[in-house]
Amino acid sequence: MILEIKNLTKKYNKQKTGLSNFSMTMEKGVLGLLGPNGAGKSTLMKIIATISKPTHGTIFLNGEDIVKNPDAIRKILGYLPQDFGVYPNLNAYEFLEYIAAMKGVGGAGLRKRIDMLLDGVNLTAAAKQPIGSYSGGMKQRIGIAQTLLNDPKILIFDEPTVGLDPEERVRFRQLISEMASDAIIILSSHIVSDIETIADKVAIMKTGTLIDKAIPSEIIKRIENKVFETVISNADLPAFKAKHLVIDTSRQGDKTQLRYISGFQEIEAGARNVPAGLEDAYLFLTQN
Amino acid sequence: MNYLYPIIKADYLQRSRSYAFLITIAVTIYAAWSFVPPPEANYTTLTMFGYKGVYNSAWVGHVTALMSTLVLSLSGFFLVIGGIKKDVDTEVGLIIATTPISNFGYLFSKLFSNFLILVTISGLAFLVGILMFFVRSSGYPFHIGDFLLPYLFMVLPAMFLVSGLAILAEVFLGRKSILQYLLFFVLFGVLMSNVNNNTKNSMVTVTDALGIRTVFNSVKDKVNTEFNEKIDKVSLGYVIHKNRTFKTFVWEGLSWDGLFLLSRALWISLTVGLVYLSSFFFHRFDFKQSVKKEKKKTWEDLLEKPAVSYAGFHKSALPPIAAAYGIIPFIRTELLLMVRKDSKWLWALNISIWVATLFVPLSFAYSFLLPVLLFLQVSRISELTTKEKTNRVHYFTYASYKPLQRMLPAQIIAAFCLLVVLALPVTGRLLMASNLMGMLQVLNGSMLIVLLSVCLGILTGSKKLFEILFFALTYIVFQGIPEAHYLGALAFKNYAGLMVIILIINALLLIFSFAVRNYQTRNL
Repeated sequence: MILEIKNLTKKYNKQKTGLSNFSMTMEKGVLGLLGPNGAGKSTLMKIIATISKPTHGTIFLNGEDIVKNPDAIRKILGYLPQDFGVYPNLNAYEFLEYIAAMKGVGGAGLRKRIDMLLDGVNLTAAAKQPIGSYSGGMKQRIGIAQTLLNDPKILIFDEPTVGLDPEERVRFRQLISEMASDAIIILSSHIVSDIETIADKVAIMKTGTLIDKAIPSEIIKRIENKVFETVISNADLPAFKAKHLVIDTSRQGDKTQLRYISGFQEIEAGARNVPAGLEDAYLFLTQN
Repeated sequence: MNYLYPIIKADYLQRSRSYAFLITIAVTIYAAWSFVPPPEANYTTLTMFGYKGVYNSAWVGHVTALMSTLVLSLSGFFLVIGGIKKDVDTEVGLIIATTPISNFGYLFSKLFSNFLILVTISGLAFLVGILMFFVRSSGYPFHIGDFLLPYLFMVLPAMFLVSGLAILAEVFLGRKSILQYLLFFVLFGVLMSNVNNNTKNSMVTVTDALGIRTVFNSVKDKVNTEFNEKIDKVSLGYVIHKNRTFKTFVWEGLSWDGLFLLSRALWISLTVGLVYLSSFFFHRFDFKQSVKKEKKKTWEDLLEKPAVSYAGFHKSALPPIAAAYGIIPFIRTELLLMVRKDSKWLWALNISIWVATLFVPLSFAYSFLLPVLLFLQVSRISELTTKEKTNRVHYFTYASYKPLQRMLPAQIIAAFCLLVVLALPVTGRLLMASNLMGMLQVLNGSMLIVLLSVCLGILTGSKKLFEILFFALTYIVFQGIPEAHYLGALAFKNYAGLMVIILIINALLLIFSFAVRNYQTRNL
């Protein structure tokens, strides 16, 4: 299975461009999408999910143009939007049956499948309560469950871990790992550690363009030996920030401990080189 | 009070920057144009048994103001109600609740922004009224006061009252929209039922909430004096007259006496007073939690399960699924959503009226009970195509398999089925009375209601315009204008022409709905 995005551009109006000549190819596995707000991640996902048309460009799924023929992907699509809602008067069973009907899924096994999915997202106990009474995390979990109703081959998750507690996030990661063996999974998140743990490959976007795509370790390599930690006085902080890309700060009385990325050859006095992480690389790539 | 200004401004801008508001403005301009019909038109808006005023400045100014009061009082309530609900839905209310603003301050700002919305719309009607004076020019001089004063002393106080009633309805009746509409319908009927009261004393002026009665009495006095008549009734609204000739008279307008102005001030004060009183009952966005408390976990429970228990499933263990592209599950869900909408007491009322339509005289069931029964479904029907966006389920809907061919027909069929079931006693009795045309008219009219909701919902993204229109259609039914009766009003006559017109409208609404939805599903 191969998903090819070719020269995708989405213009909302003369001033606002969501995507600009974006091209990328995806195969089975998990692709983590990273980028600041407004980078075009949700726009890209909406276009792949066929609910938004590109201004230019196209997308091929196994050679089939899904911009022209959206139903080709809809049968095998699982999509979790960022700010989805539910019908509050339906319970979890009724809602999932409704979504299953939308996806064109039925048959004798549907009820059992819904049971298992609800169990998988830990909602069995609340399955007969109206969804209107659910907490944010519970709604997010029912959103995750609905993506799996139709045995999807393309899964799109836009900020899926929002509202999930740490335990649920672990469960979600396990779920994704299990699905990744025979599906293309596209996952966006602002929580870089989530992407780092789950994704086989990472794509970094900025202002509607793709600025990097590789496996996480390769992206981290791009800032090898550039990440440092040091302690400076609070008074020196503004000048330091002007000179270096500061990743993290922690105040310690009249001093501040810093983690920063430096492009300079010479090392600041007292600074020590530390192993880089994906978050460091992401910030470096998107702020340069 | 300075802090109220930005709140009012923000609320006003939020409400006025919508597609639905633009369409309302367009409808208002069209309506205001029709307030002053051409002399050869087959309808009038203000007449008395064969008499009507010449189109001088006073007549056009007052007729425009009277019609604005009537139409905008009726529709304005639907237009402005929901300001507090919006704050609940968007959860902005939770932020407001934590600010120092008092309950009265908040409700007053809502009252004022309601009022500003209605002032904007009535202001447009005012301008169109002036334009119409020149369009229908009869050579009489133009006096701005003849337009301005009726708007200041009649339309604006009435709009303020309606704005306040919307606040009271939201505070005391919360989300019970049907009950809000019903009570307003009754209240409006009561207010309008007494506009032709011919008693002349100060109490009659003071109790004239909309200010219409005072103008009516002045017009009646003029005709009765000039033509030595004993007319006791003025017709306000769209009244069809076929081939009827009118005697004309020159009416110079109303002298706005102190008592009338005092009475307007009293109604405005009463509105503010009632809103103030309601502030003591305002929920301030503190609702009872409907979530059942989970049983407290015991140590044994916690020890039984590991901290991260992946109840999960193995993908291979999931039962196989079969393809099912039918629309029956959608129809079932749409019906379920409609049935669960609103409270059980409303279903009790529905069932009572439904049973009554089996036993009361057929003409009464047809022309009164059935329109009431159908109107009681307004909040179920009005959400047909807007609920996906309101509940943010449209991401799923639009990304589903063939949404246009499956979802939209299911919504139309489900709503139509609901109305057909509700109309069953009447259609059955019509059939037994061999009135096939009557039965078809009911089905045709029911489909009109469904398609109006579908089309206006898709077009505006809001349910308000449909609700206003449905309310107006129901009001017209009770005014006994057969040509405008959406169910045919034929009783036992066959208005085949009307049926064809409604059929054509239905077809156009259907085509338009599909075309716009087709675009929307691919352009989020």
